[in-house]
Amino acid sequence: MEPIISVKSLVKTYRLGKVDVPALRGVDLVVQEGEFVAVVGPSGCGKSTLLHILGGLTGPSEGQVCIDGNDFRLMTDADRTRFRRHKIGFVFQRFNLLPTLSARDNIAIAQHIQGNGFNPHRFEAITRMLGIDKKLNHRPFALSGGEQQRVAIARAVICEPKILLADEPTGNLDTENSQVVLDMLRELNRTFRQTILMITHNPEAAGIANRIIRMRDGRIISD
Amino acid sequence: MVNKLIVSNVLHRPIRTAVSVLAVAIEVAMVILVVGLCHGLVNDSARRVEGVGADILVRPPGASFMLGLGEAPMPTKIGERLAELPRVLAVAPAIIHVNNAESVDLIYGIDMSSYNAVSGGFVYLSGGPFQSPYDVLVDDIYANAHHTKVGATMNLLNHDFKVAGIVEHGKGARRFIPLTTMQDLTASQDKATTFFVKCTDPAYAEQVTDAFKTLLPGYTIYPIKEYMALMTSNNIPGLNYFITVMIALAVGIGFLVIFLSMYTTITERTREIGILKSLGASKAYIILVILREATLLTAVGIIAGFIGALILRKVMGGVFPTLPVEITWDWRLYAACLALLGSILGSFYPALRAAQLDPVDALAYE
Ligand SMILES: Nc1ncnc2c1ncn2[C@@H]1O[C@H](COP(=O)(O)OP(=O)(O)O)[C@@H](O)[C@H]1O
Ligand SMILES: [Mg+2]
Repeated sequence: MEPIISVKSLVKTYRLGKVDVPALRGVDLVVQEGEFVAVVGPSGCGKSTLLHILGGLTGPSEGQVCIDGNDFRLMTDADRTRFRRHKIGFVFQRFNLLPTLSARDNIAIAQHIQGNGFNPHRFEAITRMLGIDKKLNHRPFALSGGEQQRVAIARAVICEPKILLADEPTGNLDTENSQVVLDMLRELNRTFRQTILMITHNPEAAGIANRIIRMRDGRIISD
Repeated sequence: MVNKLIVSNVLHRPIRTAVSVLAVAIEVAMVILVVGLCHGLVNDSARRVEGVGADILVRPPGASFMLGLGEAPMPTKIGERLAELPRVLAVAPAIIHVNNAESVDLIYGIDMSSYNAVSGGFVYLSGGPFQSPYDVLVDDIYANAHHTKVGATMNLLNHDFKVAGIVEHGKGARRFIPLTTMQDLTASQDKATTFFVKCTDPAYAEQVTDAFKTLLPGYTIYPIKEYMALMTSNNIPGLNYFITVMIALAVGIGFLVIFLSMYTTITERTREIGILKSLGASKAYIILVILREATLLTAVGIIAGFIGALILRKVMGGVFPTLPVEITWDWRLYAACLALLGSILGSFYPALRAAQLDPVDALAYE
């Protein structure tokens, strides 16, 4: 079967003024559909950068990235935006909910942006599974960190993305809430065969994945 | 959905919203009132000239259709000659003097009997016609605005006049003095600047005008219909320019405030824009969110401006009864469109900036 993610010799260099900052120095990675991959490594080793490139938030400097049949070399900025809209769900460490909207609207806006309209069945199934169906009218500030992150996960998966990209989703949560969020992610992976790439610092969190990738200095050092 | 986002954003920043709405309201009210005042003044003065009751106006060669502007006096003899022509019922000579001591205001010097013959006579609300050379008649609107009573004195052309009567408004000027007095005071003995001509039947106006034109080549002669058609603010030198400048100023204020308001908003909401982008929102989507928010602020501002203009007109009408403000739907619509256009232009650059934000930077933004 065609892998859902296929990355070859991926290089990403940021330019800060006159200095080149190498964030990724040649990454090769193949992920099959339905995998739950944890990415670990010291801070600054390029984990987030890798995730941003896979999600089309930023382009690669060099190398090949092919996701679900989309070759990034052939895609414009607008193409990558469209790709992200239909195939990627993001979850961030800082939850990143829209503060002025209720939990329900935070989830619904993803459906609106995707353009397929509101799907009540999917909406109910996801919110119930994530245990936030009673909190939908609350604004983010009225929710605990764990609840906010579950709303963010619901928003990320509501449009049935091919890949869920999570950047330290438990980084701002206490142990108990972390556990709940990790359970949810595992549940999503099991019930919907959701492909997940999760960055984490936490060895326990990495433990729930079925594959662990270690990075250092912009390279994958073990897989 | 976008509506919800926009409304919640607008409500989330009540001060910013209030300031933006107020700016647009001021813009809209300013356009409506300035235009309304200019049109009101022109139309009001045109109506009052029409109210004299003349069918034809005869003015010196080269005179503007603006009564009282730069006119060389004509001998009153001409009027006597015109009165002898067939189908002419009456000719009233007048000197129209621009008194800009207080506000720009016309004073008519009239010969009472001929003026009455043309106009059908004044309706006296109190007092009566001139008794002596230094008597003045004022209309009720002027009297109300200045609390003028019969018997009071007022200074005109450096001379004290006594108010002889208060007449119903609508017949030419707001103040009238005897023609001979006006002639003395303006050193134009036996002269007039305008002849108000009444035909035996208004239907003869064109015909009689033609006869006058043959008799008085080069003179400025209008049937009253033609005069009324000319009396629009478009034809008044400088007025259109003034209106345009005022409108440009008002729209400029609206443009700048909306620009600043939306610009601040996108800097403040960088992270939120990053979130929308991470969800796959296109540039067009982001631009539309910003433009629609500006449009919402503007729409509320326009309504507030309409209401403000009405209230201000009421207040102005109380303080300055001689300043007529005409608020028409045409101009309301025009003011609304201008405000909308200004806001969309003002928010376009901020919207473009927002659309071009790098999502990675935006999400890292503190
Ligand atoms: N937008 C950016 N501009 C410049 N340098 C960046 C940017 N994002 C990340 N970097 C640099 O790239 C390297 C990798 O960063 P990152 O991918 O965030 O690492 P990690 O997520 O593993 O902590 C770091 O040295 C970081 O300073
Ligand atoms: Mg990181």
